[in-house]
Amino acid sequence: MKTAEKILWAIALVGLVIGLFGLFNRISGGHLVAAYNTYVPWGLWIAVYVTMIGISVGAFLVASLAYGFSVKAVQGIGQLSLLVALAALVGGLVAVWVDLGHPARLLSLFFSTSPTSVMGWMAWFYALYGIILVVMLYLSYKQPESRLLRWLGWFGLPFLIVFGGAEGSLFGVVSARSLWESGLTPILFLAEGAFSGVALVLFLSVLFGNQEPLPFLRRLTIAFLLAVVVLELAEYLTILYANIPAKISSLQLVLFGPFWWVFWVFHIGLGLLLPLILLGAFKENAVALAVGSILAAFMSLTTKLNLVIPALVVPEFEGLSSAYVGPGLDLNYFPTPTEWLVSVFVVSLAAVLFLTGKRVLVPKGN
Amino acid sequence: MLHELLSLLTKDPLNEVAAGAEAKEPLIRSELAPLPDLPPGINGELHPIQRMMSDLRRALAKPMNQRKWAMVIDLRKCTGCNGCNIACVTENKLPPGITYRPVLTETRGTYPNVTRRFIPRPCMQCERPPCVDVCPVKATWKREDGIVIIDYDKCIGCRYCIVACPYASRAFDSGFFYSDYGGGERQPYEKLPSPEYFENRVRVENTSPIGNVRKCHFCIHRIEQGELPACTVSCFGHATYFGDMNDPQSLVSELISQPNVMLLKEELGTKPQVFYLV
Repeated sequence: MKTAEKILWAIALVGLVIGLFGLFNRISGGHLVAAYNTYVPWGLWIAVYVTMIGISVGAFLVASLAYGFSVKAVQGIGQLSLLVALAALVGGLVAVWVDLGHPARLLSLFFSTSPTSVMGWMAWFYALYGIILVVMLYLSYKQPESRLLRWLGWFGLPFLIVFGGAEGSLFGVVSARSLWESGLTPILFLAEGAFSGVALVLFLSVLFGNQEPLPFLRRLTIAFLLAVVVLELAEYLTILYANIPAKISSLQLVLFGPFWWVFWVFHIGLGLLLPLILLGAFKENAVALAVGSILAAFMSLTTKLNLVIPALVVPEFEGLSSAYVGPGLDLNYFPTPTEWLVSVFVVSLAAVLFLTGKRVLVPKGN
Repeated sequence: MLHELLSLLTKDPLNEVAAGAEAKEPLIRSELAPLPDLPPGINGELHPIQRMMSDLRRALAKPMNQRKWAMVIDLRKCTGCNGCNIACVTENKLPPGITYRPVLTETRGTYPNVTRRFIPRPCMQCERPPCVDVCPVKATWKREDGIVIIDYDKCIGCRYCIVACPYASRAFDSGFFYSDYGGGERQPYEKLPSPEYFENRVRVENTSPIGNVRKCHFCIHRIEQGELPACTVSCFGHATYFGDMNDPQSLVSELISQPNVMLLKEELGTKPQVFYLV
């Protein structure tokens, strides 16, 4: 085992153990241990969930290019990309599962699906996506030349656009939340997902010493980074110019609110600008590529935090926050230690799944 | 539009579930309490409570799909006393942090030219409720009489409906108890069953409705027995009216036909069934 892999294992296992405390707290303390509430019903766990699904989408894109479209540069990392996609999917779904008020009723998503709910549709999309990933992983291991693998890789791309777009639609269709309600939201989800997922595959390729895909992945990451910049500019500038009170109040929170540094420092600075410099200017430097790509992947959480929370903390009516007071009626959301620990658990679980899969499935040198 | 198209592809899920829900409700109309004997108004007309109760009982005699419950709130009369709010909490045995009817205070202008108005905000029981469409497991639906309800045993607690409600009319029951603050034993009033949906649930840890989304249901358990919702009957200024808007003789129909009617966030097209007189 390479040193890098050993370090990853160590981080993942430590994270898993620490995160278990959070999970135990969630199980024993119910929802009282979390800060999401009636006014801000979704918080960190939902942000982590959509971030990881985004990463999964991006990683699967690489696998789809490798198996479905025979892009030579990434053929050596098809299996690795599939593993990243599956691990991120599992992690994301665990994050949203612990967020449910009644996690034991999970299966009713399948037995009692509402055809009018995007979330209902997503349950089936996740199931289908999970099956595709498992089948592709199996085939890549047992029958790498199989036509089914190639077909699934090909089919995966349009499916990915629908699936990733639907994930964004989960937010985009909510007319009650002006910041979300936009035709650009699903497209932005796709671009951000592709950006973060491809960046993570790039990071792992650097880490495991796969030289061949690096130039292609680097260019692909930069291309998606620029797409994200263009889409965000389009969305934000339109909102700023139109100056519609409900929209602008949420956006102002993102840009100039108490957590302005999440947007300017973590998203723009560390999530876009630094990766652009590192990936653009130091293309031969492995350290620069690794730092740039891991920043791009992990900082994608900030875009989801800035999507989920500011749209919810703006009250629906003037005077709502003072109309009735009590626990759970708080517009000032900040994740509790338990929410952070469970998030650490979820990410570590995905990392352990990936590393285990890599040891079992991916041949040496891949 | 999309959800309508999708509904056409399947059996109408709303009516399908509503039919099942109807069977759950034991209607005890044969045992309706007699109407209260209240003094007439200044001009000799029926006391509004008496009139609304007569309207309500007339509506109950019709099939459910022929009545359409509506609430009218006269903002000119509301004093912001929060009596309706407290009545709601008491009636439904609501835990700390949950009320189905907060009273919003809106302040306009700057001193000395300041005005204030109070807006009680129950669930709007929208004709096109965005909360229903987004529920992934059909745990919430609109009954034939217009009331949007939740099946606590089906709700998975994803809170998508809270997010989708433009009126902040839905609340998440995280599991708080009043006695948590004293750090002591559950108090007797916390062990009382809630009459919501005729289910008489006693709220205990890790059991529905804890972990569920909750909302105003116009006190179905009261109206099905010929009684007005708790907020309506408790309003000492008679600023809240309730009745069947399908009945042209009802007090609410009379009030809604006036030109000074306002709806909250009308531009969203949700068609609230709660009307405000301004």
